[in-house]
Amino acid sequence: MLGKLDWSAIPFDQPIPLVAGAMVLVAILGVLTWVVVKGHLPYLWSEWITSVDHKRIGVMYILLASVMLLRGGSDAIMMRIQQAVAYQSQGYLPPEHYNQIFSAHGTIMIFFVAMPFVIGLMNLVVPLQLGVRDVAFPTLNSVGFWLTATGALLVNVSLVVGEFARTGWLAFPPLSELSYSPGVGVDYYAWSLQISGVGTLVAGINLVTTVLKLRTKGMNYLRMPMFCWTTLASNLLIVAAFPILTATLAMLLLDRYLGFHFFTNEAGGNVMMFMNLIWAWGHPEVYILVLPAFGVFSEVVSTFSGKALFGYRSMVLATMAICVISFMVWLHHFFTMGAGPDVNAIFGIASMIIAVPTGVKIYNWLFTMYGGRIRFATPMLWSVGFMVTFIIGGLTGVLVAVPPADFMLHNSMFLVAHFHNVIIGGVLFGAFAGFEYWFPKAFGFRLDERWGKAAFWFTFLGFYVTFMPLYIAGMLGMTRRMQHYDVAAWRPWMIVAAVGMAVLTIGVICQIMQLVISIRNREALRDRTGDPWDGRSLEWATSSPPPVFNFAFNPDVRGEDAYWEMKAHARQQSFEHEELEYQDIEMPRNSPTGFVCAFFAAIMGFALIWHIWWMVILGGIGAFATFVVFAWRDHDEYVIPAEEVARIDRINIEERRSLVSMAGAV
Amino acid sequence: MSDQTHVPAGHDLAPGEEEQHSVGTRILGYVVGLALALLLTATSFFIAGTDLVWQPSIPVALIVLAIAQMGVHLVFFLHITTGPDNTNNVLALAFGLLVVFLVVGGTVWIMAHLNANMPPMDQIMRMQ
Repeated sequence: MLGKLDWSAIPFDQPIPLVAGAMVLVAILGVLTWVVVKGHLPYLWSEWITSVDHKRIGVMYILLASVMLLRGGSDAIMMRIQQAVAYQSQGYLPPEHYNQIFSAHGTIMIFFVAMPFVIGLMNLVVPLQLGVRDVAFPTLNSVGFWLTATGALLVNVSLVVGEFARTGWLAFPPLSELSYSPGVGVDYYAWSLQISGVGTLVAGINLVTTVLKLRTKGMNYLRMPMFCWTTLASNLLIVAAFPILTATLAMLLLDRYLGFHFFTNEAGGNVMMFMNLIWAWGHPEVYILVLPAFGVFSEVVSTFSGKALFGYRSMVLATMAICVISFMVWLHHFFTMGAGPDVNAIFGIASMIIAVPTGVKIYNWLFTMYGGRIRFATPMLWSVGFMVTFIIGGLTGVLVAVPPADFMLHNSMFLVAHFHNVIIGGVLFGAFAGFEYWFPKAFGFRLDERWGKAAFWFTFLGFYVTFMPLYIAGMLGMTRRMQHYDVAAWRPWMIVAAVGMAVLTIGVICQIMQLVISIRNREALRDRTGDPWDGRSLEWATSSPPPVFNFAFNPDVRGEDAYWEMKAHARQQSFEHEELEYQDIEMPRNSPTGFVCAFFAAIMGFALIWHIWWMVILGGIGAFATFVVFAWRDHDEYVIPAEEVARIDRINIEERRSLVSMAGAV
Repeated sequence: MSDQTHVPAGHDLAPGEEEQHSVGTRILGYVVGLALALLLTATSFFIAGTDLVWQPSIPVALIVLAIAQMGVHLVFFLHITTGPDNTNNVLALAFGLLVVFLVVGGTVWIMAHLNANMPPMDQIMRMQ
């Protein structure tokens, strides 16, 4: 009846996951009770859960990423403490638990923090920057988000029901095969990634189509803001690379469920094929994450330097070059696994070449700042911090791209330090810069600068104190994923890293405080102009938060930095006082398709993990039926009457007029 | 899905969206495509079993027919044309082909090297 599921699945003998799970459950129940008692449920359902508005979906993506960042961060704290104490002792985490923690940490941070964060930012901003009213496929967008959330849910369920994979974040066989991992851990891993992978692919298709097909009048490719270009490149990579991940995990699942031998040691299986395929996805994935961050930095650096982006066309070229070359370097993840010198040499050279366009970008940002009137607001701090940190990470990356050096450093703490250096210094700093930069656009009030700056400095310093010692430990020969060790020379560095982790934690607390304080003082921090940073691209041309239709009139773009030119134009001639002719606007109706579909997908995923076949069929039929109902609906749009559009837009114009006249008075 | 309203008329077409063709021409296009696809399939099956041609040429012929089949599908069913509206589709196809070429070609190359350098234990035993 319930497949493999019984009471032994719940780890009553392990206090840590049980207590953590209980606390999370209490928190969720508390929030739910509060929502229901206060009567917010109808609002939440109709305005957020069923919303197909790209801005709302973007915000929900970022919320999911932030919550999962806390989960992944807790795992990181536990690992750092374990390695600080586990010198010639077992520490406080038994090996099977420690292995689950580092696997969950990697999986969560990449798939459920970094991915939703950048997809959320792209969703929120790209249609606004392109000057259009929505993404290409609004309901599909909602489906993509909810499927990603389903994956995150399954990973977290594994905390208290069953176990998570103990195989590392990429579940290499033969360890991840049934003979070595008979439990449900790898199944939790694989099914949650399969489900969220569908969501990511959907988001990728949606955003590619949006950039290619929905641009406002005059928005040529070479007038698009840099963030739109990096979005295009990143989502092209999603569309090209995620099917590889899906296929690879499907083969692993066939091995585990139906006795196939794709990656087993027996019967002609080939373990190396898994490494090859997973990294053919895995390396583009790195650029899927970091390219949108590069886009954020381009926007932020240009805005806060008060200058157009230096070398816009070289930036576009560099982005697209990275997009293609990222598919030519994947072997550098397994230099040591027996390919010959010519294979290693070619892939090593390709890996060094891909640093060139990235270097071009760094110089472009520096030249954008050069001679500019720089304002060091919080987003700019994150960007400058990124440049310093990412260069170090990039250089250590070029170092490990040299095969002989990689033979020394493979799977060492040096590598761990390297990829945290680029992912934290690149992706996470970029995500935070984007968060600080676009928060006023999404919610209509700024974030508190003092707490924001404190968060930056603690995170920045904490990063260096945590990860520079790991470079040294790697040089001293420490390998990654060690539950305990006996080498005295490593110990001091592990203690320093744990101290750094404490500093990083203070940074996270500052960020939470920033959010709480800012929400409390939102009236004082209110931005009525829609353009708090003196921005340059079209998202600042509408009010904050933007109306559901984004723009009453689709903007007419006449050059790069569209909004900057509009503002210059308006200052010269002041606003025309002609009466505008508003028209009705059709917008897509909200739809529970995404949520219902994800609900059934969650049931199906859980049932597949525990081999509860009747429930698998139930979930499958439910998800399919949801799609059929959606496909056969009659009314997919509603009309916002012209008077309503006019009313909303006139308020915005009034605010802007007073802004311009005030600026004139000063 | 529903947002073509934002695109100025005559500016750009969504993938798969046809302009000004009547239903008759479209059906004709599909019928021609279907006939060509069936013809190519039948030829493949015929060539595979025949002894009318020089035997070693059969694999080559099958590959040629397979590529022609892909072409027919792309032109008649996926509507890849050289028209100006079709730049996106052609570029997407080119990008897809490039990625497939890189991943498949790279994989074959890497796996051949791994097989040569690290054969399984029993093969090493046999070599000695």
